[in-house]
Amino acid sequence: MKHTSTIGKSNKTVMILLILGLSTIIFPLYMTIVIAFKQPSEMTNSISGILSLPKNWSLDNFREAMEVTDFWHSLGNSLLISVTTIVLAIVIHSLMGYALGRNKAHSKFYNFVYLFIVSGMFVPFAILMMPLAKQTAELHLANWFGVILLYVVFYMPMNIMLYSGYLVNIPIALEEAARVDGASTWRTYWSILFPIMRPMHATVAVITALAVWNDVMTPLIIMAGSGENTLPLAQLNFQSQFGTNYNLAFASYLLSLIPILIFYGVCQKQILNGVTNGAVK
Amino acid sequence: MKNDRQRTFLLITIPILALFVCFNTIPLIRGVVYSFTNFRGFGKYDWVGFRNYIDLFSDARVGKSYWFTIKLAVVTTIVVNVISLLLALGLNSKIRAKGFFRGAYFLPNILGSLVVGYIFNYFFTYIIPALADMTGIKALGSSILSSPGKAWIGVMIVCAWQAIAMNTIIYISGLQTVPEDVYEAGGLDGATGWKQFKLLTFPLIIPFFSINMVLSVKNFLMVFDQIMALTKGGPAQSTESISYLIYNNGMSGGQFGFQSANAVVFFIVIVAISVAQMKFSSSKEEQL
Amino acid sequence: MKGKRAKYLGTALCCAAAALSVQGCGNSSADGKVEIEIVQYKPEAANYFKTVEEEFNATHDNIHLTISSPNDAMTILKTRFIREDYPDIIGIGGDINYSYFVDAQILENVADYEGMKDINQGYLEIAESLELIPTEGTYIVPYVANAAGILYNRDMFAEHGWQIPETWSEMLQLCDAIKEEGILPFYFGFKDIWTCLAPWNAMAVELAPSDTAKQVNRGQTTFTDQYRELAEKYMDLLPYGPEDPFAYGYNDACTAFARGESAMYPIGSYATPQILSVNPDLNIDSFVMPAGDSSEDRTLNSGIDLGFCVMDGCENKEAAYEVLNFLYEDENIQKYIDDQNAVPCKNGDFRLASMLDGMLEFIQSGNMTDYQDHYYPSEMSVDALLQTFLIEKDVNGFLETFDTNWQRYNRDIIRMVQEYESSH
Repeated sequence: MKHTSTIGKSNKTVMILLILGLSTIIFPLYMTIVIAFKQPSEMTNSISGILSLPKNWSLDNFREAMEVTDFWHSLGNSLLISVTTIVLAIVIHSLMGYALGRNKAHSKFYNFVYLFIVSGMFVPFAILMMPLAKQTAELHLANWFGVILLYVVFYMPMNIMLYSGYLVNIPIALEEAARVDGASTWRTYWSILFPIMRPMHATVAVITALAVWNDVMTPLIIMAGSGENTLPLAQLNFQSQFGTNYNLAFASYLLSLIPILIFYGVCQKQILNGVTNGAVK
Repeated sequence: MKNDRQRTFLLITIPILALFVCFNTIPLIRGVVYSFTNFRGFGKYDWVGFRNYIDLFSDARVGKSYWFTIKLAVVTTIVVNVISLLLALGLNSKIRAKGFFRGAYFLPNILGSLVVGYIFNYFFTYIIPALADMTGIKALGSSILSSPGKAWIGVMIVCAWQAIAMNTIIYISGLQTVPEDVYEAGGLDGATGWKQFKLLTFPLIIPFFSINMVLSVKNFLMVFDQIMALTKGGPAQSTESISYLIYNNGMSGGQFGFQSANAVVFFIVIVAISVAQMKFSSSKEEQL
Repeated sequence: MKGKRAKYLGTALCCAAAALSVQGCGNSSADGKVEIEIVQYKPEAANYFKTVEEEFNATHDNIHLTISSPNDAMTILKTRFIREDYPDIIGIGGDINYSYFVDAQILENVADYEGMKDINQGYLEIAESLELIPTEGTYIVPYVANAAGILYNRDMFAEHGWQIPETWSEMLQLCDAIKEEGILPFYFGFKDIWTCLAPWNAMAVELAPSDTAKQVNRGQTTFTDQYRELAEKYMDLLPYGPEDPFAYGYNDACTAFARGESAMYPIGSYATPQILSVNPDLNIDSFVMPAGDSSEDRTLNSGIDLGFCVMDGCENKEAAYEVLNFLYEDENIQKYIDDQNAVPCKNGDFRLASMLDGMLEFIQSGNMTDYQDHYYPSEMSVDALLQTFLIEKDVNGFLETFDTNWQRYNRDIIRMVQEYESSH
C-alpha cells in the first residue's frame, strides 16, 4: 500500500477538482427537480423565474405522470426487457468474447469473426430499421422478445470488445493450470474465467442497461401497434410538435431514473471488488 | 485436450455468429439493396442503378454534414477521453465519499434527451448570455446555438457532458486490472505522479484506452440524439449530422433509397476509420 | 460436461419456443365482432379519441373499434406498411405524405362514402389538388382544418387602441406604432426550424399562386419568379421581432407571448393550448396576415389538419364507413373543435373557439387557401432553407437554392408529372 502516500498528497486537490466538476451535474439536476414540481403556469423565460423554488412541493405532477404513462405496467415491461437483455448479454457476450479474445491473435478465422462482428457496431441504425421491421414480423418476433433479441445482437460488438480487452490482462496460465488438472475448456471457463471477469460483467451490465433503458427507437419500430409500452415509449406522450408539458415530462423522467441509479449503485461495487490481486497472478 | 479446446471454441462461435448474421448482416444486405432504388419507404419503387451514389457525391448538403460530423467527432473524442481518464484516476484514488461521487458523475448519462435538451437549451439561450452581460464578455453575449459558426461547440459540450460517464466507467474497470504490486515496485523506483501514470498505469490500460477511443469516435460520428434535442440540424443547417440526415430524410422524409446509399457509404467510412484505429492500437499493445 | 451443454441448448430452444407462442394472437375476433383499427397522427388529441372509442364500443354490438394516437405516428405507420400490417383507417394531415400515399396506391377510393356530401367543398378541392397527378377518385375524408395567421394579445390591442391591419402597409404601420410604445411587435421561435414556415405560409397564400409547386413541376414557372416578393417581405418582418430570433424555440416564443412580452405571434391556431397552459387568462384573438396592397386580396391560410383515409385492402369497408359516420356526427366534431381549437371541414352550425373570431368571416365565406408547405417534400427541409435565408439575408441566393434543390428532390415526381402532361 505504498502508493497511497504518493496519491495521498494530491488527495485534497483531487477532492476540490471533483467537487468543482460536480457543479456541472448538480445544476442541471437542480433544474430538473425544480421543474418537475412546478405547474406549467409557473414557467417563465427569466432566469430568476426558472431557478426559483416551486410555489408548493406537491406530488401532483408525479401522480399525474404515473397515470399518463401507466407507470407500473410500462416499468414492468422496461424491467423485463432490460433484465433479460443484461443476463443474456453477460452469458452470450462473455462466451463469445472469450472464444474470440483467446484466439484472434493466432487464428485468421477468429480474427476475421472478431473484426466482422465489431464492424457491425458501425452500421447506421436507420438502414436496418425497415429491413428489421419486416424481418421481425416475418419471424413472428414483433414483440418484446424480438426487441430483446435485437438488443443482444446490437450490443454484441461493443461487449465483445470489452470482454476480449479484459482477457488480455488475465494470464492464460490460469487456464493451463486447470487443464493440467483434467478440466475441460468449457468447465474451466465457467469455474475459473467467468467469476474472474466479474468486474467486466458489472461494466457490461451497466453499459448495456444504460443503452437499453433509454432506447426509444427499437421498441418503437418493433413493438409498434402491439399496444405494449416501455417507459421511454410511454414518455413520448408528453411531447408533440405543438406543445410539450415539461413539468409532467420531467417528473416522469425523474421517476424512471431511480431504478437505473439503484442498479448502477449495485454494479459499481462489483466493478471495484472484482479483481483481487492474488487471483490474477 | 487440444481438440476439446478447439471444438469448444467453435461450438461457442458458430451459433452466436449465426445469430449476429441473422439480425445484423442480413438486414444490412437488404438495406444495401434499397440503396439502388428510389424507394420512399412504402409503396412501389424503381431500380435506379448507381444514381443514388452518384448524387451522393455531388450533394453539398451531404458533404457539409460529413465535415460537421467529423469535426465534432474528433474534438469531442479528445475532450471526452482526457476528462474521463482524469476523472477515472481521481475516482479511483483514495478519497472520501467515493461511492457518492461515482454515482453523481454517472447521472448525465441517464437523464433522458428531452431533459438534457431542455436544460442545455435554457443554459445556452438565457444563462450564459446573462452571465456574459454581468462579466462583460461580449463574445458570449448571444446564444452560441443561434450562430451557425459556433453551434457545433454547444453540441460538442452536451455530447461530452453525457459521454464522460460511460468512458469513465470503462477506464475505472480498466484501472481495476492493474495489480497493486506494480505500484509498489514503481514506488520503490521513485516513480510518482505523471511519471507513474505514463510509465506504469497507462501502458497497462491501453486496451481500455483503445476501446474508449473506438467507441467514442463511433458514438460521436453517429451522433443523433443530441442533435434532435438541441438544434434539429440548425441554425442554417450547420449541425446536420450524417445520422440526422439519414434518419430525418430517409425515415421521416421520402428519401429512403437515397439515404440508404448514404448509410452504406457512411458505414464504409466508419469501418475504415475504426479498423485503422484498432490496427494502430493493437500494434501499440504488442510493443509492450 | 455434455449434460451441461445440452442444458444450455435446451434453455435456448425453450426461449425460442416461448417466443413463438407469445405472438400469434391479434386480429382474431372471437366474439364475432368486426375489428376496426384506426391509427391517427395527432397525439395531442389522444384523449378525445379515447372517449370516441369508448362511446362507439358502448353503442355498437357488431363492431369493435380501436383508436391509437401514437407519437411519431408516421414512423409507426411506415414500419407497419413495410410489414404489410395495415390498420383499417388512418388519420393523417393533408400534406405531402398524403400525396405520396395516394401515389403509392395504398389508399381506398372513398368517393362512395355518403358523408362526403356534407364536407365543405373547399377542403375537398384542397384534397384533390394534393394529388401529384390527377387521380380518379377521392382518398381522404377531411375532418378538421387549422388556420394560420397572426395571434394577438386582445387586451393589449384594446388598451392601446390598435386596429387590425388589412394591407401590408397597414401591417408595417401597426408594427411601428407598437414599437414606439416600447413593446415588441412579434415574437419568433426560429430556433425550432419548422416555425420559420408559419409566417411564410401565411403570406404566401396572398403573394404566390396556390399551385406554385405544381406549376413548377409542369415546368411553367420557377420559384425565383413567384417567391421573390414573399422573401423580401419576410425579411421586412425581422426587425420587429426579438434581437436574436434564432436563439429562441417554439416553446420560448409561446411562453414569451403568453407573458405579454410581445403583442403578436405569427403562428397557427394550434399554438393556443401551449400558450394558455402558461397563462390561462390571456385573451387571444387572431387575424389573417395581410401581405398585399388591397384588403380584398386577403385569404385565410387553412389546410386539412386531420382527415381519415381507408386503407386499400380493408376487408370491411361498410364497417369502416359506420365508424366514420360516428366520427362525423356533429356532436363529436363539436367536441373535437372545442378541445383543439380546430376548424371543422363539415358544413354545419358549429361553435368556433374565440381565438378564431378574427378569422370567422373568411371561414364562413370559404375564402381560404392551402399551406404552400403541404406541397414541399419534407426531405428538402424548406424550413431549414428558410432559417438559413433569414440568417444570411440573401434573397437571390435563397431563391436560387430553392429552385435547384426543388429540381433535385422532386426529380422522380417531375418526370412523372411531365409524362402525364404529355400523354393527356
